Amino acid sequence: MQEFKSVPITSKILRSKAFMLIVLLVMLVIVFTLLAPLNDGQFFKATTLQRILSDIAIPACLTIGVGLLIVSGGIDLSAAKVGGLSAVVISVNIVNWGMPWWVGVLIALVISSVIGLINAVLVNELGFMPFIATMAMSTVADAILRLIATDSSGVVRAVINFKNDSIDAINKFTIFGLTWSVVLLLILFIVYGLLLSKSKFGRQMYFVGGNRLAARLAGINSKRVSYFLFINTSFLAGLGGFIYTTRVKNGGLTTLMNDQFTGMTAAILGGVSFGGGAGGLGGALVGLIVIRSFNQGMVIIGASPYLTSVLSGVLLLVALSLDYFSQRRQAKRVGA
Amino acid sequence: MGDYLEFNGIGKSFPGVRALDDISFRAESGKVTALLGENGAGKSTLLKIMSGDYKPNEGTLTLDGKTLNLHSPHDAINAGISVIYQERQLVPSLSVMENIFLGALPTKFGIVNYPKLKADCQAILDKFGLPIDPTAALVSLSIAYQQMVEIMKAYRRDSLVIAFDEPTAPLTDREIEILFGLIRQLKEEGKIVIYVSHRLKEIFEVTDEIIVLKDGRYVASMVTADTSEPELIKAMVGRDIGDTYANLKRNDTIGDILLEVKNLTTRYVTDVSFKVRKGEVLGFAGLVGAGRTEVMQAVFGADDVLSGEIIFDGEPVKFDTPHDAIEKGMALCPEDRKDQGLVLWRSLEDNISMPVLDKLTIGPFINTKKTAELTKAAIKKFDIKTSSLDKRVIELSGGNQQKVILGRWTSDLCETKLLILDEPTKGIDVGTKAEIYQIVCDFAKQGIGVVFISSELTEVINVADTIVVMQNGRINGEIKREDATEENVLALAMRD
Repeated sequence: MQEFKSVPITSKILRSKAFMLIVLLVMLVIVFTLLAPLNDGQFFKATTLQRILSDIAIPACLTIGVGLLIVSGGIDLSAAKVGGLSAVVISVNIVNWGMPWWVGVLIALVISSVIGLINAVLVNELGFMPFIATMAMSTVADAILRLIATDSSGVVRAVINFKNDSIDAINKFTIFGLTWSVVLLLILFIVYGLLLSKSKFGRQMYFVGGNRLAARLAGINSKRVSYFLFINTSFLAGLGGFIYTTRVKNGGLTTLMNDQFTGMTAAILGGVSFGGGAGGLGGALVGLIVIRSFNQGMVIIGASPYLTSVLSGVLLLVALSLDYFSQRRQAKRVGA
Repeated sequence: MGDYLEFNGIGKSFPGVRALDDISFRAESGKVTALLGENGAGKSTLLKIMSGDYKPNEGTLTLDGKTLNLHSPHDAINAGISVIYQERQLVPSLSVMENIFLGALPTKFGIVNYPKLKADCQAILDKFGLPIDPTAALVSLSIAYQQMVEIMKAYRRDSLVIAFDEPTAPLTDREIEILFGLIRQLKEEGKIVIYVSHRLKEIFEVTDEIIVLKDGRYVASMVTADTSEPELIKAMVGRDIGDTYANLKRNDTIGDILLEVKNLTTRYVTDVSFKVRKGEVLGFAGLVGAGRTEVMQAVFGADDVLSGEIIFDGEPVKFDTPHDAIEKGMALCPEDRKDQGLVLWRSLEDNISMPVLDKLTIGPFINTKKTAELTKAAIKKFDIKTSSLDKRVIELSGGNQQKVILGRWTSDLCETKLLILDEPTKGIDVGTKAEIYQIVCDFAKQGIGVVFISSELTEVINVADTIVVMQNGRINGEIKREDATEENVLALAMRD
């Protein structure tokens, strides 16, 4: 039998996006630790890490959902708005509707999933481009959110604050000293990471993203993959909205708005390619930590939030450029 | 005149592949020089060097003795070299005249001078006697005329060198005649014309000199008038392949009816009926667009059946998706490997295991060991040339890519009863073609019914047991191999 050599594991690690990102993260930590002593605490300490991890639990919900969609050749621009809607539904339920808090959470998750289903129908049955369909749904979700946030006198409340003991308890709940959202974050990454990299279904996502027609002719049910991913993305966004309410105890018009950007940037930084058919979640998690550390570091050294935004945008552009150049280099290398 | 384009010791390497090695020849003005060779001979690489897409690792390209240093397609155009690829490099939504003058629109005070543009464009079109309206939108033209527009664009740029990459592939016979007229006119104007094609007939019709390449090396240079088809094939292949078909080990025990299609009508085809028996190779011949692909796509569940009946393995079936057809034991190797067959950026392993993922799992997870075994078996069975199992299929040659698709459908896990091969040898070199013919016969020997769609007449009448001939979405007739000749099949394919 012929022997086949495989690409050595060391060079695989060195070439992976996750490794590059870890190097970048270490550099960020060093820079901010050097800059931070002036402001009392060091950057590099356990509470900062804990804080960063619990902060990224919310955008992580979007990163995972949207990241998988991008792998399969789709995109969802409505995810953040759906998460915001979920947070508002949960808040308004506690404040006005008076049902138990968990009923509100269930309703929020159902509404989110239904929006995902509508996205899937628009894309698969009516042939809309995912980009257009989800942008339209984002507007619809925003309008529903405003309707729900309108009080009896017809005024739209920008933020709906609530008080609820059970949700307080959830927020304080820890496992092995880790807050529940960090534990959830790790579980989500492990489950979805395995789903994508090791399971049959994950493989099908790559096939559909890499060549939808070929996948169909080889007997893969591309529609099923697409439906699952759109619904999954919205469901996870709804979950993100719930995590938000436990931490902040409100929901409002702009809830999660920045996370759409963070979530997508992280997925792309982590190597999920816009061409579809490539990338994994390990890199996306490190990508999230990089972005969050960067933001946290900028706060610690007292930089202007606008400067932080500018540099975050630059980071996304750099990530996209790297993606573009690596694709082009590979295409050239194989003479395609 | 006496202009010439000269290649001096051109060499080009890609990682692991020596694409071109020490290529030297000269193409002269007023002549059409053919580049001929099997797939992988290096013709495309050579064109891409001319067009500035690739930089050679060694050697130089000179035009009239001046060394050209091309860093980009832009440089090549400025140096007077236009390469006309199969993919149009035009803007579909713009008009013909805008396309021809793209990048050099005549202006007046910074505004496009349309009257002048139209007049200039008309002058060029008239010169070549092309009945094209300069103001028509490019999309409204047929593929053939779009190609003419592309050629006119090259002419307008005053390119001294005009190279064609398989220009006749999408054209009908009549359109080919118009194209050849155009090429002859360019030749008379003293252009240096370079012509890349697989089709020997055309090479004899339109070229003056032939450069034969093989495996990236220069083999021979011939004067078209002094050579013959067998001599060219011998130079290309390095051996005589005349008896490929005679040497095929065919299946001679044909079994029961496997597939019966009765009065099938879809959006594209009308009232199509035929039968495939177990162990039979049923050929589908016809011109491009005759509806052969469309018939099989409908049978396979990839296109809607409007009316008619399909009986497969004794039971009436109606497949809504290819998935259903595959479950019953059908398999399709589509016409366009890259667009419909493969996930190019995924590995060999992934592409082979695609339809049988269900059988390769432990719980929800993929069984990597079994997948590797499956892949190794396919590599061995079809002699696929690859250095590793996780090599991406985009890095394989066309012939090996086709074998990957064949391997996908014929593993131990896949119970294929009917194998539909749509143009399985398209763009594949002569040596691998012979291998694929034998593979087809081997399938038949295992009792698999094979549908063999091909536009190459010689191939389809020699490999298939029975040949179904189609035209305009209908079946014109069936001919047994014993009775089939290129002439009678072609006559049937063009009956109307």
